[in-house]
Amino acid sequence: MKKIKNLSDLKQIKENLIKKTKKGRQLITVCGGTGCHASGCKKVIDAFKREIKNKDFKNKVEIKVTGCHGFCERGPIVVIHPKGIFYQKVQSKDVKLILSETVLADKIIDRLLYIDPLSGEKIKYEKDVPFYKGQYRIVFGKNGFIDPYKIEDYLLIGGYGSVGKALCNMSPDNIIDEIKKSELRGRGGAGFPTGFKWEFCRKAKGNKKYIICNADEGDPGAYMDRSLLEGNPHSILEGMIIGAYAIGANEGFVYIRDEYPIAVRTITNAIKQARDYGLLGKNILNSHFDFDITIIRGAGAFVCGEETALIASIEGKKGEPRQRPPFPAQKGLWNKPTNINNVETWANIPLIISKGSEWYSKIGMDNSKGTKIFSLVGKINNTGLVEVPMGITLKDMIYNIGGGMPEGKIFKAVQTGGPSGGCIPKNLLETRVDYEKLKEVGSIMGSGGMVIMDEDTCMVDFARYFLEFLQDESCGKCLSCREGTKRMSEIVIDITKGQGKEGDLELLEDLANVVKETSMCGLGQTAANPVLSTIKYFRKEYETHIFERKCPAGVCRDLYISPCQNACPAGMNVPGYISLIGEERFKEALELALDTNPFPSVCGRICNHQCQSKCRRNQIDESVAIRSLKRFIGDYKENDIEYPKIKSSKDKMPFKVAIIGAGPSGLSCAYFLARLGYKPTVFEKLSIPGGMMAVAIPEYRLPNNILQREINNIKKLGVNIRLNTQVGKDVTISQLWSQGYEAFFVAVGMYGDRSLGIPGENLENVFQAVDLLIDISLDKPIVSHVGKKVVVIGGGNSAIDAARTILRMGAREVTILYRRTRREMPAYEEEIKEAEHEGVKIYYLVAPVKINGEKGKVKSIECIKMIPGEFDMDGRQKPVPLKNSNFYLDVDTVIPAIGEFSDVTELFTGLDVETKPDGTISCNKNGATSIPGVFSGGDVVSGPNTVINAIAEGERAAVNIDQYLTKDRTRKYPWREHKKVDTFFNPEKEPVKYKMQKHSTLSSDKRFNNFDEVELCYSKSIAIKEAKRCLRCDLEIELQEKMEQEKLEKEKKANEVQL
Amino acid sequence: MINLMIDGLDVQVEEGASLLDVAQFYGIPVPTLCHHDGLTDYGACRLCIVEIGKGKNTKLVSSCTYPAEQGLFVRTNSKRVVEARKMLVELLLAMCPSSKIIQDLASAMEVKKVRFKVEHGDCILCGLCVRMCEEQMMAKAIGFVNRGKDRKISTPFDAKSDVCRTCGGCMYICPACELRCEGPDAPGDVCGGCANVEPVCLEDENDKMCFMDPCGWCYNELGRKKEKEKKNNKL
Repeated sequence: MKKIKNLSDLKQIKENLIKKTKKGRQLITVCGGTGCHASGCKKVIDAFKREIKNKDFKNKVEIKVTGCHGFCERGPIVVIHPKGIFYQKVQSKDVKLILSETVLADKIIDRLLYIDPLSGEKIKYEKDVPFYKGQYRIVFGKNGFIDPYKIEDYLLIGGYGSVGKALCNMSPDNIIDEIKKSELRGRGGAGFPTGFKWEFCRKAKGNKKYIICNADEGDPGAYMDRSLLEGNPHSILEGMIIGAYAIGANEGFVYIRDEYPIAVRTITNAIKQARDYGLLGKNILNSHFDFDITIIRGAGAFVCGEETALIASIEGKKGEPRQRPPFPAQKGLWNKPTNINNVETWANIPLIISKGSEWYSKIGMDNSKGTKIFSLVGKINNTGLVEVPMGITLKDMIYNIGGGMPEGKIFKAVQTGGPSGGCIPKNLLETRVDYEKLKEVGSIMGSGGMVIMDEDTCMVDFARYFLEFLQDESCGKCLSCREGTKRMSEIVIDITKGQGKEGDLELLEDLANVVKETSMCGLGQTAANPVLSTIKYFRKEYETHIFERKCPAGVCRDLYISPCQNACPAGMNVPGYISLIGEERFKEALELALDTNPFPSVCGRICNHQCQSKCRRNQIDESVAIRSLKRFIGDYKENDIEYPKIKSSKDKMPFKVAIIGAGPSGLSCAYFLARLGYKPTVFEKLSIPGGMMAVAIPEYRLPNNILQREINNIKKLGVNIRLNTQVGKDVTISQLWSQGYEAFFVAVGMYGDRSLGIPGENLENVFQAVDLLIDISLDKPIVSHVGKKVVVIGGGNSAIDAARTILRMGAREVTILYRRTRREMPAYEEEIKEAEHEGVKIYYLVAPVKINGEKGKVKSIECIKMIPGEFDMDGRQKPVPLKNSNFYLDVDTVIPAIGEFSDVTELFTGLDVETKPDGTISCNKNGATSIPGVFSGGDVVSGPNTVINAIAEGERAAVNIDQYLTKDRTRKYPWREHKKVDTFFNPEKEPVKYKMQKHSTLSSDKRFNNFDEVELCYSKSIAIKEAKRCLRCDLEIELQEKMEQEKLEKEKKANEVQL
Repeated sequence: MINLMIDGLDVQVEEGASLLDVAQFYGIPVPTLCHHDGLTDYGACRLCIVEIGKGKNTKLVSSCTYPAEQGLFVRTNSKRVVEARKMLVELLLAMCPSSKIIQDLASAMEVKKVRFKVEHGDCILCGLCVRMCEEQMMAKAIGFVNRGKDRKISTPFDAKSDVCRTCGGCMYICPACELRCEGPDAPGDVCGGCANVEPVCLEDENDKMCFMDPCGWCYNELGRKKEKEKKNNKL
């Protein structure tokens, strides 16, 4: 091999290589990065190599195995140049087709293309993939063109040109100046300005100096250094040669984890090739500068990423940090001035030298310049490596590039910077990603790991994971880090096990701060970040774990009985009543359901069944139809046996309690209070009880007789309901007070409709959805004014309810206008489907502009088309009007249904109650308002919410009111205790796979001009079949313990026999 | 010579001295468990932390490993230091509750209760014995094994050492097992010795300490009352 002896040799070799490249050939690049290896790229590569040999492809196509492209989620990835056709998830069986179709016939294979989940479009070319579009890949982008084992590939794209420029045309001081001007900061995490670091080292006294590349990447979830080493090792070597020249070092080290076998191989090979070409060794490019690199393989201690520990490790000592100063720039490796930089920092150097500091410092913002590679991992659609300019917002990173959460789950937090970083919650998603801004919110840039968490992540469990990691990885030298992480972990584990106690959080915070302040090295100083940031942003979740012994995310196994029960706001014993149904013990099942929920038949129809989304049966086939089963026990009983009596307390409570609002929340509160021996009075302004359940939910979803049956059941317990009595108007709270009422529960719901804010809203045939639904329920004559062509505006359940109701009232054409896409529609999926089934037209991405009238009546509505714009905090794209896309719809009735609000000023006449800016009442954690003795709950506190949530709040209010009146915080409540059922379950038996039983529906031609219930009940046999699908997660812990005990006993017996 | 300010005192020290050396030379009490004049400094026990820097930009460092720098501003008993030390002693006490020296430190700092789960260990991993064995006895018979919470002191591979001369240097220098405190029975209790240290006068008195063992008198309620009376009398 010819050595490159000077600058002209370097130019010559590049020209020769360009000449050599055969024109007219197609180039197939297959990603051989770690991610694609995991998804099976090895087989694809082998298949390509085999096929190319077999057929006559030799002069037409070339294959190249490159490093990581970054889009690991979609691996194995194949890109066909020069067009840049992008195929994803390629399997070895696709190889033949790719060669024959795409390469020979120039046809694109549809099925291998990437489909943009947002627009649903198929994307043909790599440059159009949204994942790459938002990126700026100056460091990482070359990976896709280079075979990491061939230095020629690197030379071809101008590699080592920066070394030529630096060594032959620049003085060391020039280089340092250039780096300083570029404002490059260390990519390892701390972000120290690289130019200054070099300058310190250059100015330090001593004739022998060293430089080190820190490739000891150890953060869980971070792998960008690995991918750079595996994909483009020469860029790192080039950076190191320039750095060594600038500092005056003749010896360099790459300290790399031995757990990265491919990276060790590529970098070893790269050093050998560079030496062969004369780019490492004596008198590089005739500049009288000698430099060589040695590889040191680390044994995998996380702490060895800390520079002083890394130096100790290279020296052959125990990998332990020491206190700085003196800094390595003064006394480093073998007490000589040493400069350490991270892999990514080194890879940035050649770019700055070749393109200039001015170009580089234009990328990024404020004090953070250039780009940074992040690894997006965790609960995110596009797992992979992304390179973005500094200063991009987290929101853009997660939703634009990352593609949001899988399965439409809700984003909870993102952890940046690995175990030393912190969690950033949803409301801080606008935070810009740069060194200072991340620090401000309590996290760090770190090496660039980004772990995304969704609603199913428990933040306490998350803190526990990282604390356990850190207590294992702490070197143990200093007391604060070793004992501190151990004790923090102990406390957090106790909390996750339900053994947390008051004061734990404060102790945890105090300890975390001491660990942060007094530890010797970076590991200890940042070890507290996961705890401090989770406590800072998710204190409530910790408190729920400690005081309520509950894990809202359903992760901490010791804190819940079954995932469904944990997910239910009312905490219904789901496996209990379902297993009773399975044994045909329907009466007991209903009793058990009624124990925690006074409205099983209502919830069996209209609940949003949060339990089903957490059902573990999901992992086998489909969740158990918990809602339909709940409905079955209510409906089945109706015909057969008398409604079971609810055991109520025998003691009589002497206190008078007033409940305002006979909705689900108010009635539940009354129900539970009555069971404790109270005789509460419920005041309702309407002429029928039930609140929104009675008036806003149409009959075809919830028949009134079913609701009234359950309300009568509550009445039987001694609850007095006073209808047509509006508190604040007919009687005031103060008057009730003087009548001897000692506690109040305000649960009036939200009845006001939000206005559209467009012209023409006051025309005659514009009806607010909730008003309309109420009037229809109460048989008011207003309905007769509703026309034939109706437009409903909104995307929630009330919009769908209004549309389907109007259709039943005789409207010919019903159209729903929704300003976002179907994916974002908040209404229940099954309701939307039924509406479409019944002939309701839904226009997505359309917003009203103006309602036009004639003689005071609605004539038409002017609409505008919308396009999805920027993402908001929830990951929904904000709709933006599309200019000049206005169109008209001829309508005679408009029904806005865009949300409700509450107004409680009249209710609290003469009293001063604290409210939140949106009109809802503000309560403390016990549900108490600012007026002593007045509690509140339901929609009027939480904003529009579900029925089951209102029921849960009613129960909580009952408990709080009881504790307030009896002044006893230790009282026990029978329905809060877990009731075991004595049903049979065989844990040995493998579950038989069969899907959720479908319930039948009323045929669509029978649905007009009446309000018959659409969804029909399960038959007895189907209900039993469905109930048997339950996996009985409630028995998990119990059975585990039992099995362990049996195992022990068996062993004992076996031992005895042996003896 | 280097000039620096320690607890409001302008002092001069020779180059190469650590902050702990300075404090000890000028008679300012700084607790430590892992420092010994005859051995290299290690910085393991963190008890000797001091606050350096001025204004908002201050930090805690272990004084035994921090070299004296020109113009440095050091506070050995600021509120921040005292509070951190209390937590560190609590951590030590949870490890080795029966060590007299730790119990004494605890009572001197008014640590009233250990809030962590108490273990009855007898080693605080200060590393004095390791350094003693290596630096003074030239044996290198013992060293640290494992890392993090599994860290312990042992011979290589836990085997009987060939190079150990059973000189007893390690036992002589150990601060934890020197004396066993009879101690109270309830786990987590502290015997509550004699001294009474609250954060001291530095914060209030322009970084001037009263050159005595920091007594915290001025921070006591009683002390404050008396100070007030004094001032009132003067007026």
